Amino acid sequence: MNQDENISNTGELNIRLWQRFKAGDAEALGQLAQTHYRALYNYATKFSSDPDFIRDSIQELYLELWERRNFLSETAFVKSYLLKALRHKLIKESIRLKRFHEPQVAIFDTDPSDPSIETNIIEAEHIRFQNGRLKRIISLLSKRQQEIIYLRFYQNLDNEDIASVMGLGRQSVSNLLYRTLKEIKEIWAPAEFFWVLLFFLS
Amino acid sequence: MSLHRIFTVEELATDESFRRWVMAPTPELDRYWQQWLLQNADRAGVAARARELVLAVHDLYKDDLSDEMLRHEIAEITRIAEVRKAEGHMPFYQRAVWRAAAVLLLTGGLSWLYYTSHNTIAPSGKGQEITMGQEMLIKTNATEVEMTVLLSDKSVATLAKGSSIRYPRQFAAGERQVYLTGEAFFDVAKNPRQPFLVYTNETVTKVLGTSFRIKAFEGDNTEMIAVKTGRVSVYAKKEYEISRGAKPAGVILNPNQQVVFNRKDNKLEKAVTANPVLLAESAVQKEQVFDDKPVAEAFDALGKAYGISIVYNAETVSNCMISAQFSEENLKQRLNAICQAIGAGYDMENGRVVISSKGCN
Repeated sequence: MNQDENISNTGELNIRLWQRFKAGDAEALGQLAQTHYRALYNYATKFSSDPDFIRDSIQELYLELWERRNFLSETAFVKSYLLKALRHKLIKESIRLKRFHEPQVAIFDTDPSDPSIETNIIEAEHIRFQNGRLKRIISLLSKRQQEIIYLRFYQNLDNEDIASVMGLGRQSVSNLLYRTLKEIKEIWAPAEFFWVLLFFLS
Repeated sequence: MSLHRIFTVEELATDESFRRWVMAPTPELDRYWQQWLLQNADRAGVAARARELVLAVHDLYKDDLSDEMLRHEIAEITRIAEVRKAEGHMPFYQRAVWRAAAVLLLTGGLSWLYYTSHNTIAPSGKGQEITMGQEMLIKTNATEVEMTVLLSDKSVATLAKGSSIRYPRQFAAGERQVYLTGEAFFDVAKNPRQPFLVYTNETVTKVLGTSFRIKAFEGDNTEMIAVKTGRVSVYAKKEYEISRGAKPAGVILNPNQQVVFNRKDNKLEKAVTANPVLLAESAVQKEQVFDDKPVAEAFDALGKAYGISIVYNAETVSNCMISAQFSEENLKQRLNAICQAIGAGYDMENGRVVISSKGCN
């Protein structure tokens, strides 16, 4: 899914690339930016529907790192750090913009008061036998639950990284993740035999 | 991953090898996981659910970032980093002051331009440096119908009546620059290393490879740029020239967006939906149907429809037949389709299309 997964931690960051970056080689910044650009772009689309805003925000993020290159350590380019910095930037900026514009449609938001899956369970019952069941089940989760599922299974981050990105404690992340997966399983499981069948037939 | 333990849906769905097998399988991955399934038959249900989870999450959260756009963004980051380095380290508040100064200069410059250009007729492309040794050509469409102008980089400009374009016979390395007075539709050949710039009286439009229309008649109060495909940056000309090398503040247009430069307010105003009529290469739709015809016949018909000459070796292509139907396709799309069908290529030289073909069997 993400070709950048293999360069996702500090230890594997190319030392020569890092030295070139520190020495002020703009091409090196480009290469570093390339590594996680897709992951960042995708994450940003969950906070804003304006592609120009997203591109500008990511550009700004990397250029800020560039201007602070003399003071940075390699960890600045670790995927979860970048995601966290971008999340912070997007939320800060969209709060600022909301004063002037209509609120944008966002999948994840900072609103803590959104309903949990229980309230949507009736609709969930209804969709059980439709196509794309799991997709619908996930899209009915609360925004926080969705973000955690997204960071775990789309960005493939571990609990510690998710905690860092979302600004939560590690225990809260593992509790929330456990509860979310349990909720998904409860609705999803009854139709499982269909799937096993399909899997063996294909 | 060890083969002998109990797996959960979560463990499988976050295993890098498993994910690659689900998303982009290779024969090796396929062999490995089929083998795994045989050895862990009791985990088949778990694997099926992990697989569906990975697919569902990916499908639910995927985006539309194209490779082209990614390349463009990385190139922009690299370019701006280079510029900022050249500027040296400057605390952000100083930069803010500079920006404010640039805005003042721009506003001042544009109002000056407004007052002067309304008293004198400013020649198009005034003040633009032209690289020495580059032979410039000027085409003016004095006819009642559109005129197709072929550029040396395989880009096509469709000139509206009463419009005029100035361009080099052969683009030099570096930027591709043309100067427009009036209205034209551009279908620009992609070349990320050589940006294509259209200068009009008031604006500069910068692209890497895309199609769009510019309307900039002298005497009109507005100039308009509408984008059909790709991504286009538009700048007020004064500002573009002031910020030479640095990052000028412009408007970025995506497909179906347009921007209007208003001479009165000296402002670029973005509108989301561009008029669909403006986004066609030609005002008249050129319907063409070739039903198993010799390709020479298609080339001749195409040349006639667009008022251009298409040169080919009649003997080499004598065995090539073509079946094609065109209605909304533009000239380059038609040329590409025909050439692809007969395994040929083409170039644009001296305002003509030159077909290179090895023939058909």
